[in-house]
This record gives sequence, structure tokens and C-alpha cells, in this order.
Amino acid sequence: MDLRYTEQQEILKKSARDFLAKECPKAKTRELENDAKGYDPALWQKMAELGWLGFNIPEDYEGMGYSFEDLTMHIEEVGKNILSGPYISTVVNTFAIVDAGTEEQKKDLLPKVSNGNCILALAWYEENGLYDASGITLKATQKGSDYHLNGTKMFVDCAHVANTLIVAARTKEGSGEDGVTLFLVDAKSAGIKIEVIPTIAHDHLCEVVFKDVAVPAKNILGKVDKGWPVLQLIIRKGSILKSAESLGGLQAVVEMTVAYAKERVQYDRPIGAFQALQHKMSDMWIAAGTSRYLLYEAAWLESEGEPSSKEASMAKAYINEAYKLITALGVKLHGGIGTSNDHDAPLYFRRAKAADTVYGGTDFHRELVAQHIGLK
Amino acid sequence: MDFRLTEKQIEHRKECYKVCAELDKKKPKSWVGFESPFDNEEGWAFHLLCAKEFAKRGWLALGWPQEYGGTGDMMDKVIFAEARGYYDLAGSDIFGVAMLAPTLLAAGSEEIKREFLPKIANADLMFCELWSEPNSGSDLAGLQSSAVRKGDEFIVNGQKTWNTGAHYADWAFGVYKSDPNAKKHHNLTFMLCDMKSPGITVKGIPYMNGSHVYNEVYLDDVHIPAKYIVGQENEGWAVVNVLAGFERSNVDMVYGLVKGMEELIHYCNENKRGGQPLSRDPLIRNRLAEAACQLEAVRTLAFRVADQQNRNEMGLMDAAAVKVFASELMEKYGHLACDIVGPYGQVKHSKFAKMNGNPEYTYQSCFVPIVSMGTNEIQRNIIAWYGLGLPRMK
Repeated sequence: MDLRYTEQQEILKKSARDFLAKECPKAKTRELENDAKGYDPALWQKMAELGWLGFNIPEDYEGMGYSFEDLTMHIEEVGKNILSGPYISTVVNTFAIVDAGTEEQKKDLLPKVSNGNCILALAWYEENGLYDASGITLKATQKGSDYHLNGTKMFVDCAHVANTLIVAARTKEGSGEDGVTLFLVDAKSAGIKIEVIPTIAHDHLCEVVFKDVAVPAKNILGKVDKGWPVLQLIIRKGSILKSAESLGGLQAVVEMTVAYAKERVQYDRPIGAFQALQHKMSDMWIAAGTSRYLLYEAAWLESEGEPSSKEASMAKAYINEAYKLITALGVKLHGGIGTSNDHDAPLYFRRAKAADTVYGGTDFHRELVAQHIGLK
Repeated sequence: MDFRLTEKQIEHRKECYKVCAELDKKKPKSWVGFESPFDNEEGWAFHLLCAKEFAKRGWLALGWPQEYGGTGDMMDKVIFAEARGYYDLAGSDIFGVAMLAPTLLAAGSEEIKREFLPKIANADLMFCELWSEPNSGSDLAGLQSSAVRKGDEFIVNGQKTWNTGAHYADWAFGVYKSDPNAKKHHNLTFMLCDMKSPGITVKGIPYMNGSHVYNEVYLDDVHIPAKYIVGQENEGWAVVNVLAGFERSNVDMVYGLVKGMEELIHYCNENKRGGQPLSRDPLIRNRLAEAACQLEAVRTLAFRVADQQNRNEMGLMDAAAVKVFASELMEKYGHLACDIVGPYGQVKHSKFAKMNGNPEYTYQSCFVPIVSMGTNEIQRNIIAWYGLGLPRMK
């Protein structure tokens, strides 16, 4: 047993922190919230040059070939700083291609992703708001050597700037896990209409409407009707990485709140001397500590190729709530200034709400956990 | 990062679970939970039985230096605690084994180590703690019991309280005010004493569920030889802090909950309401899953503490976090178990009870880990002052 960071991880974490502190300070985050694109293409290229986009892509496809555990540690720092744009979603979506892509698809897409020339967006959720297979109703109808897609996808991360969409569609009647097919779709295809949805985190999630969008059959990712297991892989890996981002964010809020409590003087003393605030900060710290090793355990299991679905869902369910709790307390303990958008605490508070919905909300994951722990 | 145990540790774990599973079958009928060693004669007898089984395998001296009869390391001790906690067994004297032995190793004289460590390792002596007083709970340093030096001995007078197991213990470790004129924190002496000494009277205090767990202990002109001082005369507060610093990883408490969850899941699968198993009820599924996530979160943090202590890092703040979280999770678990068994949540361990009466028992007993070993409010203060560096109000 050794629950310390490896030396490599210490280096990765520090370099991510230093890079983001310089390249993506909070002023830039605020700018990007109101920016049409929602990310900085120049920054994206710099990240590509550092190997950030190809972090977990195999070296055969021009990636860095780091481990999933190393990627998790890296993403934690990304979340601590905040990085606007489709970075985490592209990295997670890449796993679908590595897992289910044909050699041709992998050779075509992975180097482009790694070199910063392809933003991947996953079009999965729909208006029904469901995370399980029954939520997928967008139809894919075979017409010659093409499939025609009809329907609407919601909350597609940065679809408006994406190059390739991974679209989850129904190729068979029914609402079960069988009959879901994944398609690689050029985001500029005829018949696609994209609109950015105003959201709490200004993260540029989009509504994507598909009207008779023709997709060649060779663009199927994986097998016809057998796309759900690939989405399960996305749920699992995405839950861990999104939770890592959240872990970084919640740690930032604990630190900023404690720092403020030591500086802010009222009644002739730092407000951090008052026990009511101290206890809330201790509770924030306890929530952070209990989140951390649960997340690392899930990441380690995934990285080792061991079964990790239970731990991934436990981490997501737990950290969803911990991030929201910590950021709400963070705002409150700052008093009035904590409520202003000029302050950093709300940046995290708003992102905590957004994070809980991605790759499955708390109740969705608790149901998966209920199954894993043996409830009939 | 590596959460795996070594081959040797896996073997040790198998052996611990095997021995504890066998002992579990020998539990007396009246045994309900962690207070049971002290509650009646057969509970205490079972505690001694377990202790002897553990002693003969060297498990009460895990992590001690070899020269004092120790074997293995901290992780072996934690693994043993896991198995013991899972089966909710006694046999490892919290006071002698978990608290006093490490303190003697760190602060005791050679004579005191040679006299007492073998007896603790061999389960020949069971200890109790004489610390708290009616007017000194959290603020222990303000205690009033006096110890007046007279040649080779101290004459001790005063009253202690909340002394778990004092009605059965052979010896005690206590702290008394030995210099009424010195400053706070430099006026106390830490001493061992024989509970059979003339002048010691033990009076039981009933726990809210009627169990006899803790006591008041009255000391009237009790003579304690000065050779039983641990550390320096008048510097007993430093010894108290050394002892308090040996925070356990609380893995035993965590694994008690692991077993509790298994039993609750089994109960829900096997029992029906409205024609279908309780396990199909979405609210029950959601609450049990929530508890399972919280349990895994504290379990991984407990192993982080164990890992740190195995490297000789104290991990005090993480240990405080585990203590607070696990004890409050025990409370949540007790409430959840009671909710699940419905009106049977009020039924005591008896032929009428569901789940062995464990829900009702936990519902009342969960206050113990919350208010003892430093209340959870004190733990939050400690995290705030020493973990987060927040100012302490004068």
C-alpha cells in the first residue's frame, strides 16, 4: 500500500498548475463565459503542444501514452484552476474511439485530437433528461449505404465549435440497451442546427437538432445496435475524470475560504477565530478529505484494468454532493462578497452544479451503486 | 498510488479473519455490540477469551519494537483491527493495547516498559483510563484530583468519571494534579495504579440504554508508588498529548459499519413489504447507496491514515477527520437501519427483534464514539486550529 503521489505525478501536477496560472487566470475564465466560442483556440494549441490532448492516447496514434491514474491527477489540477472549454469532454470522448474505433477511424481521428485539430463532442442526452439507455430516442434510419439521423440532442458540450460529434442513436425499435448505435458525424453536416443553451456555468452546452442528417455507414463507431457498452465506458471513465476536476475545484474553495477567514477582520479579530465558521471550514475539509481517496481508489482501479464501475459511480455520487456542499459553504463564509460574480467562489459554485449533471447525476449513480452492492 | 496489500499482508488478513470468525461463533447470547465486554460477567469473560487468543498469536503487540516482544508493523495492526471490527469483537483492550502500550514505548522508563509491556501483550492485565472528572471533560488540563508526593509515593485524592470498564479493570492509567502552585499544563503527573489499591471505589453509571459500561471512580488517600510515574513528575500533560497523538486509524469502527451494511442489504433482500422485497423500494435503494458511498469514502481515508502511520507520519488531521466522519456515519447508519425495520427500530435485542436488535442498539450507542476520545466538536477545533491554521480565540 502506498497512497502517495508518484514523483511523475508531482511533476505533472506542478506543471499543470504553473501553466494554467499563467495561461488561464480567473480574468480569462470570466471572459470566456461571455465569449461566443467559450474556449481559447490559441490556448488549445499550446495545450496540444504540451501533450494535454493526447495525454492518454496511445503513442502509436501520436499520443503521450500516460496512465489513466496520471491523467486523473492532471485533471484534478485543471479543475482546481478552472479551464473553460471542451478539454475534459474531448479527452473523455477520445476513450470511445480508442475502445471501439476501427483502425482507420483511430488513424484518422486520434492524431488530429492529439495535435489539437479535432474537438470531439458527445451528443447523448435528450430532452427527457434520462441517463440510461431508455433516454436515447433519436432515430437512425438506414437508407442505402447511409443512415439518416432525426431528432434532438441536448447539453452537447461545445458542439458549436466541435469538429466531430459522437451521436448516440436508435437503430432498432425499443428502448432497451440493445439497439443503440454510435455514429461519428461531421459537425458541419447538412441538416444539423446548433444553438448554445444559456447555463449556470456558461459552459456552452448546446441543443443540436438533426434533420435528415446523412451519415455513411462506415462512420458507425463500434457495432450496429451495440453502442450502449461504449457509452457505459464513457460513463465510467467520464465519472472518474469529471470527479477529479470537481475534487480540484472543491480544494480551491476550501483554501480560498480559509485564507479569507484569516484575513477578514470584524469585531477586532479575524473572522476565522469564530468557532461557528471554524466548524464549517472543518466540515468542508473533512468533505474534501473523504472525497479524495475515494476518487483516487476509483482512478487506480481503472488504471490497473481492474473492475472499477462501482467505485467510479460511488465517487461521482459522493463528489457531486461534496462539491456542491463545499462551494455553497464557501460562498456563505465569504458573506456578501461571496455572492458577487467579481469573486472567485461563485465561479466554482456554478460549476459544481453543472458537474453534477455530467455523465450521470447523483441519483442515477446511486441506483448503479445499489445494484453493485447487491440490492435485489 | 497503490491500494494493494502485499502477499504477506494478505495472508495475515486471511488469518485474522479466520480467527475472528471462529471467535464470533462463541459470542454469548447477551452480546449486542461494542459496549458488551463491560456490561455483564459473560461479556467480560468473552473479552478475556478473545484477548488470550489474540495474545498467543502476538497480535496485541503488533507494531511494537522486537525487543519488547513486538512483531509486524502498523499495517499488520490495522489489518487485525479490520477483522476484529468486522466481527464486532472485543479482546483488544482499547486502554492497555491501543493507548497505553504505545505511550509507554514513547515515554516510559525502561523499568516501567519491562514490567508492563509483557503483561499487556499477554492479556494478563486489563486497563482502564482515569482522566475525565465531573468538572474536566474536554478541558482535561483543568482537572482537580490531587497527588501529593510523600517520599517514595503519592497520596491521591479526587473523583474521576466516564471510566469505561473500571468495574472490571486490573490496573489504570491516570493523570492527577501534583503541583497546585505550578502553571496549567505543567502541574500534572501521569501514573499507573492497581485498581485493587485501598481507597479506590468504583460506582457504575448507567448508559442511556441501561448498560453498565462506564463508572465514577473515587480515590480516597490512594497510595501510588512513585515508580509508576510515566514520563516526568509534573509533566504529565506532555504524556497525555503523546497518548492522544496515537490516533488509531479507526479501521475497526469502519469495518463494523462494513458488516452492518452487509446485514442491512441482506435484510432488505430477504424481507418483503407490500408483496415485494424492501430492496425494490427506490427510497431504500437511494439511502443505502448514499451510505455505501460515504462508507467507501471513509474507508479509503482510513487506509490513507494507516499508510501514513506505517511510514511514521502521524496523519493526525486525517485521523481526526476519520473519527468525526465514521462516528457520524454510525449515527446515520443507526437511523437508517431503524427506518428500514419500521416499528422494530424500537425493539431491543431479544427474541422479538429484527436484525438481532442491532438497529435499536446502534441508535443509542452511536453517541459513544461521537463524544468520547475528544468530542467531535473538539476534533473540529483541532482540525481548524492545527490543520487549517485558524486562530484560536483566547
